[in-house]
Amino acid sequence: MSLIKDFTNGIWKENPVLVMLLGMCPTLAVTSNAENGLSMGIATTCVLVGCNIVISLIRNIVPKKIRIPVYIVVIAAFVTVVKLLMDAYAPPAINRSLGIFIPLIVVNCIVLGRAEAFASKNGPLRSALDGIGMGLGFALALTALGGTREFLASGSLFQVKIITAWKDDFMLWTSAPGAFIILGCFLAGMNWLNMRRAVKRGELYVPPQGMDCRHCRLCDLGRRDEE
Amino acid sequence: MSLKLKDTENIWVLGLFLGLCGAAAALVLAYFDDLTRAPISKMKMLEVDNALREVLPAFDNSPGINVCRKDGVTFYGAQRNGKLIAVAASGDSMKGYSGRIAAMVGLNLDGKVRTIAIVDGKKLAAVLITEQNETPGLGTVVCERKRQKTIFSIFKKPGKAAALPPPNPILDQFAGRSAGATPWRVIKDGGKCDYLTGATISSRAVTGVVYRIAHAFAAHRQEIIARLSQPQPQN
Repeated sequence: MSLIKDFTNGIWKENPVLVMLLGMCPTLAVTSNAENGLSMGIATTCVLVGCNIVISLIRNIVPKKIRIPVYIVVIAAFVTVVKLLMDAYAPPAINRSLGIFIPLIVVNCIVLGRAEAFASKNGPLRSALDGIGMGLGFALALTALGGTREFLASGSLFQVKIITAWKDDFMLWTSAPGAFIILGCFLAGMNWLNMRRAVKRGELYVPPQGMDCRHCRLCDLGRRDEE
Repeated sequence: MSLKLKDTENIWVLGLFLGLCGAAAALVLAYFDDLTRAPISKMKMLEVDNALREVLPAFDNSPGINVCRKDGVTFYGAQRNGKLIAVAASGDSMKGYSGRIAAMVGLNLDGKVRTIAIVDGKKLAAVLITEQNETPGLGTVVCERKRQKTIFSIFKKPGKAAALPPPNPILDQFAGRSAGATPWRVIKDGGKCDYLTGATISSRAVTGVVYRIAHAFAAHRQEIIARLSQPQPQN
């Protein structure tokens, strides 16, 4: 039972992008279309699973003092392997549009975060499941973001035009401001869904810290909450 | 033992451990580097090959193997039945709006930019931008020949039109031109080449790179043709 929970944790309840707000750099940068988002998600999933397994295997012999450098060595090795494999087998177009963001998985906080918070405390099986779950959550969030942006910009999904009459692209959504706007809408939607489910169960929903109006004083809502 | 290693603070042990980790990682990476070296170079060849297939007429040799470099431009010869029929050339320019623009251009043996086909009375030039980082929506319009898949076309068999690269008015204007002594310029700079309003720099760079390629061929025509005419194994 707890194994299933390890797996599903990353997909919804602790989704790395939409709940924990980790790994924002690739999230905002590569999700200009669904294909890029999915490929980035798959690459990160491979790294996450591999690192989680290796780190949970060596967790009992790594000296505490140097555990972070050791983790980074493991992560960097996995990322380089993934980069080499992508150079060799991935379609050139995808490889080129992901470009620098594949090597940058090394500094993705999700990977180091799961190594430190989960894999270094749990066995290989649970760590692998956690890696798959977190990776899937990341991939799903990125694909959804990319798909939304792509569809709003050009009426296509996975580079296939759905609305054939759509000629000129609406560039806002594929550029950086569009990324922030869509991500904001996604976070709001996630909060709204969770709030509705909590209300149905008759509970009080408390949004994650920093994701509601409490920390922001730009408008009246934040101040009213405090009173 | 394991507990002792976990809590150790002996700097030598720590150093040794980290060193061993690095060495193990290096071994793994060396293995994968060795494993992927051949596929990666094959992938790069495939990319060049695909571009060549777009800009050259049907050929029966391997143009990617026997190349000839002049003035920073790489020339590939297409042969049919052992005779040179056309030349493709790839070159680049650093004058794009964000750096490098690389192009692959098909040339007739007389030095004119090749026309792939005439579609609806408009010439389709054998000019392909293979690398660019231009602004999406502006510079990319100048550079791209993007095959647009639609929800209807993915279920249909690709017809003859799909085999041709899509038209691009800026790139197609070079069809049939040959490079003289004066560089091609866009109209804004007093030349004859069309450009896209809002993407003047990209248009200038594209014009520049195509001229550079055509000019390099015109300047060394005899030599290049002699080099690329050498017999090659047919496939």
